[in-house]
Amino acid sequence: MTNMPSPATRSATSAAGRNDVVIDARDLVVGYRKLREKIELTALRDVNLQIRRGEFICIVGPSGCGKTTFINVVAGLVKPWQGTMHVNGTPVKGPGPDRAMVFQDYALMPWRTVQENVEFGLEFVKHDLSKQQLADRVAHYLDLVGLKGFEKSFPYELSGGMKQRVGIARALVCEPEILLADEPFGAVDAMTREGMQAELERIIAETGQTVVLITHSIDEAITLADRVVVVSHRPGRIREVVEVDLPRPRFEYDIKANERYHELREHVWDLLKGEAFGAATEGEA
Amino acid sequence: MSATVEPKTVAPGDGGPLNGPERTFRYSPINYLRRYGAAGLVLLNLTCFFILWELFARAEVVSPLFLPRASDMFRTLFEGLSPGGIILQHVFYSMRMFSIGMLAAAAVGIPIGLLMGASKVMDSIFSPYVWAMAALPRVALMPLLILILGFSDSAKFTLIFLSAIFPIIINCMAGVKTVDQSLVRAGQVFGASKTDLYRKVIFPFTLPFIISGVNQGMTRGLVGLVIAEIFGGNKGLGYLTTRAAQSFNPALLYAVLLVLVVFSLGFVQIVKIIETKAAPWRNYGS
Repeated sequence: MTNMPSPATRSATSAAGRNDVVIDARDLVVGYRKLREKIELTALRDVNLQIRRGEFICIVGPSGCGKTTFINVVAGLVKPWQGTMHVNGTPVKGPGPDRAMVFQDYALMPWRTVQENVEFGLEFVKHDLSKQQLADRVAHYLDLVGLKGFEKSFPYELSGGMKQRVGIARALVCEPEILLADEPFGAVDAMTREGMQAELERIIAETGQTVVLITHSIDEAITLADRVVVVSHRPGRIREVVEVDLPRPRFEYDIKANERYHELREHVWDLLKGEAFGAATEGEA
Repeated sequence: MSATVEPKTVAPGDGGPLNGPERTFRYSPINYLRRYGAAGLVLLNLTCFFILWELFARAEVVSPLFLPRASDMFRTLFEGLSPGGIILQHVFYSMRMFSIGMLAAAAVGIPIGLLMGASKVMDSIFSPYVWAMAALPRVALMPLLILILGFSDSAKFTLIFLSAIFPIIINCMAGVKTVDQSLVRAGQVFGASKTDLYRKVIFPFTLPFIISGVNQGMTRGLVGLVIAEIFGGNKGLGYLTTRAAQSFNPALLYAVLLVLVVFSLGFVQIVKIIETKAAPWRNYGS
């Protein structure tokens, strides 16, 4: 908590009880092998990041900078080459029910109804819920994401925004401590995107989860995050962690009319501009 | 497609009062015509076809040995298909051979295909044989089969089996290999074990591929069936075509061909229905 990796990081956020570290990445080096070329590529290098309970973290960076790799390490899908990743004080060995993920391409099972897709989140987890309790829980989260009445629909009958609501409900239904989201609104149109950001803020305010969200939209990062982690071009290093000190709930007022919003936006933009100009502008339109 | 999602856009004054997002409306004659018109058109088309055929045959432009009258063909067909008729027993025989051959091909082909898709080792063990056999025109095997098994039912069964099994294997393999990796990743994130992944993600994803493999296998198997019956034996629809031709009975020959068309279309159609029921999302852009 004290050894934050970047000078821009200031003291912990206001809320009490937020000071224990949930995700603790130390000296992380992660990469992958390209078999055909016989080379090993480093995706992330020297990543130190401590994320506190209940924090909303957004990671921005140019395409191919290893954002997804980082989230995969947290999820337990990828093992680091060097360094350690601890979640709640224990090293990550694989996926676990304390972490759930929302995918950019939704990753819904097309043969399952909305309800069955949400149930998928709990299918492989040991729980002591009765059938009724399980159904209630699924219904609760479907209601929370605004999908009441669509339980029996299939994904192919839904719009992109609604598919992602299913994806969010599936992640929330496990009631994980940590919600990971890999560009969750990347494939959603601009109007739906803003609505869904507002809903995500409302839902997270209700559930109090720790969130790590990847995006390549600076606006999305600043509107949602408590802290924005800016990652450099490959191999990804943390350039700076920017504290976003804008009052919440942010969708209750016109955040874009706020002076501070623009200062932060400029600042993040300057950090990224030096990285990969083309890549950083893509998601911004 | 998205009727459950978005309200239908209806011209004002078309239905009842618009209170909610949905309302019912009544079919006008034009709606009926649009919906069932195609079937009527097919019926009309076929009627014209058979009438023209009849007239053409009566004019004896072509020798009646090559082209019987449509009416003669239909008479032979109905007589032949009535209980104790000449065609019926052969239909039953062919259907039995075909069903047994197809069931065996599916029972062996599906597991092999799934294994080849799932395991690289299995793939490299089986694939030279599978591709060699898939490339070889199966008909070429018939003389060999007759040499080994004689003009027996088992020779025919083997040809049907060999004709049908390779499309099934190849489709099942392709299904497993093309499984959407993000679905697998989702399974892993939510704690699915390897067995869970196969049962709950990969197999359901592959199911439509399996069905279309069986569908392709059926058309190939049918070719195998007819060829095997033409080659030898004294039973089955294939045999009946040769017998009709040799005894200068064109009406019977055409009737048997028609039965084969219906036979084949029927099987393919049944599988198609199963496919849309089992994988409705496949008809949409996901």
